[in-house]
Amino acid sequence: MKELVEYIAKAIVNKPDDVVVTEEQSEGGVLLKLQVDQEDMGRVIGKQGRVVQAMRTLLRVVAVKQGTRVELVVE
Amino acid sequence: MVVLKEGKTGFLGFGGEEATVRVFRRQPEELRQEAVTLAKEILEELLPLMQVSASVEVKELSEEGRAIISLEINGEDLGILIGRRGQTLYSLQYLVYLMVGHRLKAHVPITIDVAGYRERREEALKNLAWRIAERVMDTGQPVPLEPMPPNERRIIHLALRDYPGVITQSIGEGDDRKVTIHKGG
Repeated sequence: MKELVEYIAKAIVNKPDDVVVTEEQSEGGVLLKLQVDQEDMGRVIGKQGRVVQAMRTLLRVVAVKQGTRVELVVE
Repeated sequence: MVVLKEGKTGFLGFGGEEATVRVFRRQPEELRQEAVTLAKEILEELLPLMQVSASVEVKELSEEGRAIISLEINGEDLGILIGRRGQTLYSLQYLVYLMVGHRLKAHVPITIDVAGYRERREEALKNLAWRIAERVMDTGQPVPLEPMPPNERRIIHLALRDYPGVITQSIGEGDDRKVTIHKGG
């Protein structure tokens, strides 16, 4: 799941080398934290959160396949 | 770029002539082909990351006289890639569009379809529109449809554009925007 977020984020930001995704296992499932350069925040979040929401939708496909839950936050 | 007149370097710096060239902007057709090739590459990398094994094929089709290049994803068990009311498919399409746009520094519309979903959905929406229109004509009561994305609302509007006696109107914001069918017109 981490790789999926990395792939998408790196392809839409101006500073792909600054994209960092960490994956934590919690009791509720998987927690992904996406960090990008301050200037790229808007690109990964999108207007009204549309971009991050689309990423969450795709992550859900993987989560369902793995029988788990996933949460994605941008920080 | 086309060279209209070759330049000359001259002799010892004398008698040199500037070359004349004409520079073209990237042609829309060329850009579109570039975008679709890139979108296919992206999908072929993205789908395995989503643990989906499927093939991606480029298909040219025409929709109301407009040429449309669509990327068709085919494989087994792809319902999960479509999602509720096509939500997953539209998210995938939106992200691919952003990735292609970022790389090419241009906004190029990309259409993605999964296992013929769009065609089936379009057919279902047209049938729904006609059925509801008939009911509105009978009862005179307006009927709101469920919320739909822009392309689906457009299918409803177009299906009833020439239907005598009813008018369609989109009401609501964002994800809640829906078409209502009224008597009138």
